[in-house]
Amino acid sequence: MSSETPFQIDIPDEKFTILRAKLELASFPNELEDAGWKYGAPLADIKRLTERWKIGYDWRKYEKEINEQLPMFTRDIDVDGFGALNIHYVHKKSETVDAIPLLFCHGWPGSFLEVGKILPFLTSSAPEHPSFHVVALSLPGFGFSEAPHKQGFAIDQYAEVAHKLMLALGYNEYGTHGGDWGSLITRRMASVYGGRHLKAWHTNSPLAKPPSWRSPLFFLSFLLTPWSTEEKAGIERTTWFHTKGQGYYNEQSTQPQTLGYSLADSPVGLLAWIYEKLVLWTDNYNWSDDEVLTWISLYWFSRDGPAASLRIYFELRSDCEDLGQSPTIPMGASFFPKELIVLPAAWLRKSHNVVFESHHKTGGHFAATEAPEQLVQDIRKMFAKGGPAFAIVPGRTGYA
Amino acid sequence: MPSETPFQINIPDEKLRILRAKLELATFPDELQDIGWRHGAPLADMKRLVERWKNGYDWRKYEKELNQELPMFTRDIDVDGFGALNIHYVHKKSETVDAIPLLFCHGWPGSFIEIRGMLPLLTASSPKHPSFHVVALSLPGFGFSEGAHKPGFGLDQYAEVAHKLMISLGYNEYVTEGGDWGFLVTRRMAAKYGGKHVKAWHTNFPMADPPTWKSPLSFLSYLLTPYSAEEKAGLERTAWYRNKSSGYFVEQSTFPQTLAYGFTDSPVALLGWFYEKLVIWTDDYKWTDDEALTWISIYWFSRAGPGAAHRIYSEVYGDFYNLGRTSYPTIPMGASYFPKELLLLPSAWLRRLNNVVIESHHKSGGHFAAYERPEELTEDVRKMFAKGGPAFAVVPGKSGYA
Repeated sequence: MSSETPFQIDIPDEKFTILRAKLELASFPNELEDAGWKYGAPLADIKRLTERWKIGYDWRKYEKEINEQLPMFTRDIDVDGFGALNIHYVHKKSETVDAIPLLFCHGWPGSFLEVGKILPFLTSSAPEHPSFHVVALSLPGFGFSEAPHKQGFAIDQYAEVAHKLMLALGYNEYGTHGGDWGSLITRRMASVYGGRHLKAWHTNSPLAKPPSWRSPLFFLSFLLTPWSTEEKAGIERTTWFHTKGQGYYNEQSTQPQTLGYSLADSPVGLLAWIYEKLVLWTDNYNWSDDEVLTWISLYWFSRDGPAASLRIYFELRSDCEDLGQSPTIPMGASFFPKELIVLPAAWLRKSHNVVFESHHKTGGHFAATEAPEQLVQDIRKMFAKGGPAFAIVPGRTGYA
Repeated sequence: MPSETPFQINIPDEKLRILRAKLELATFPDELQDIGWRHGAPLADMKRLVERWKNGYDWRKYEKELNQELPMFTRDIDVDGFGALNIHYVHKKSETVDAIPLLFCHGWPGSFIEIRGMLPLLTASSPKHPSFHVVALSLPGFGFSEGAHKPGFGLDQYAEVAHKLMISLGYNEYVTEGGDWGFLVTRRMAAKYGGKHVKAWHTNFPMADPPTWKSPLSFLSYLLTPYSAEEKAGLERTAWYRNKSSGYFVEQSTFPQTLAYGFTDSPVALLGWFYEKLVIWTDDYKWTDDEALTWISIYWFSRAGPGAAHRIYSEVYGDFYNLGRTSYPTIPMGASYFPKELLLLPSAWLRRLNNVVIESHHKSGGHFAAYERPEELTEDVRKMFAKGGPAFAVVPGKSGYA
């Protein structure tokens, strides 16, 4: 296995000085009476979080924790047509030698931090469940990975980076788990590298095309079958997301640089922009202020700045809009009720090789943070002895 | 005539100091190679503008110019269910005693400043064309007008403010000119107060609904009539706007408060968001840096703060076609079509549902027509109300001539 360059987060003091100076000068808008969450993050929340960020929040403490808990590295990955990008990633091996190599892929406004809660469980060894060697990268332009410098870095390039990282680590055959952009990217990997390298893929953000009249029997059954309570709730959630929740997506996928000026200059602006999603996209998750500020500090202190992370929306817009061909390799799907797009499982089964699914009663978009035990359970079940994807990576069953 | 409280813009030194302090700390993102305008305003433009704003741009100079050029006032206007809002407006009377009272209504990201080119032209006296007494308000939440304090301040309320302002100035019967939100507000005014008070309305932002199968003959003609080159270009421009330039619209109409934090904390955020529109919504208008900075400073220094104005989007929420839909006004309407407007639909669609008495089609000009093409737009308004024009003497006793 090729050597890895260890990485520790160590934000220069200068960056703190700048952040503190800006927070000292923070100015706030007013708010309409009784606005609550109707128009976005409430003023009281943003003021409280800004105050905490300025005085009391100790980044160095959390930086140290991350460095201690997540073994991190960097390496150059060459991308066809784009040159080498320096990629930051977490890599933790299980004590079980034949653990299953698993790539964890985050999205926006997430990060590699999302692997934190599930990492000890996935890598732990026990006869009752499979173990994993886990790799969680920072996507190019996120966290401490270098961002692409020119246009056209689209879904194939993100997939290429992730795949080549696994190969570079000696994992010629592997599985994946992804959510948000991580779901779309691992789905693409499943199409391009599936079978030969990528053996099975799991997601908490399953996407599928609705039935069309082109498959008459399925369409008929779709018309005639009454929705279950869960499905109705899912459609309501999806409708909410479509009618009320598309502002960030529309702006980020058309004018990312315009928004980028705001996120790069104003920590308060960045805080509001992301915090709103952390609350609206989760299922009543009890964010502590410090947890929120750590997520947002990561964007503020990211290697190429917060604006770079928006460009994925512009470059991958057409992939969001048209899912294209479905992969054929085995797929696992975890359905959480407060995910953003919650579609009837039948639609997924129709177009994908779904070998595992689970339906949860609580949890939202950031499943690894909100429902780590359930997510780990799901991944384990999929690859367990007797499970639908058992021993799918030859020689790496996940058991001693 | 009721008394007016004169108003002069006089931004406190403290506000200038804070702006300077924030600009000193400005931090910028990087930029993709050769990206040009594809993702928003180019980094070089932004850096140059921020540098100028910090060093060299003299707000006091432009503040003085505005105070000298535009006679401004404030007055309280009571809005049913919302209490009194203190409204800022420009008011200039023509020397022609029987000039036509005209309300000019701006939009976003515009302001009262948009009247400055047309004001001397509209109020000028001459036997060759009609004259106007001009009132140009700052919509609540914009410029130096107070903003609403509670939710529910919708199109009816904006229309009520504008109408009551005209009445309080002694203009019981009047006409209007509006673009962007000003179009929607004056259309609501024309529907609610038309006939009795609003006698005719003119716009540079004509929005129309497409014919539907509900009107079979119209729909048939719509399907069968080939589009002219101008109409094709207009539909392409409309599609561009819908697909590539309406991210701001969706965010502002769903989570305006989230945006407000960035705008209020960072002049760079405000500049980036607004400057992009000033350039891509105009027809190659040659903004000077100081001109752009003045437009944006008006938002930065606005009475309700830079986070307030765009609440109008969420309060009048609806999709593009339903936006501010009302029963169609029946009073005479005038429409000016400028090729770089954002929504450019075949003029037949407008004529189908509105009492269009005059229209003009220009070969240049964009969204901020009053500012970009003051002479042309003034011509259009004059023609509508001129002797022999379709809306001559529509305001009884105020023909616009000596």
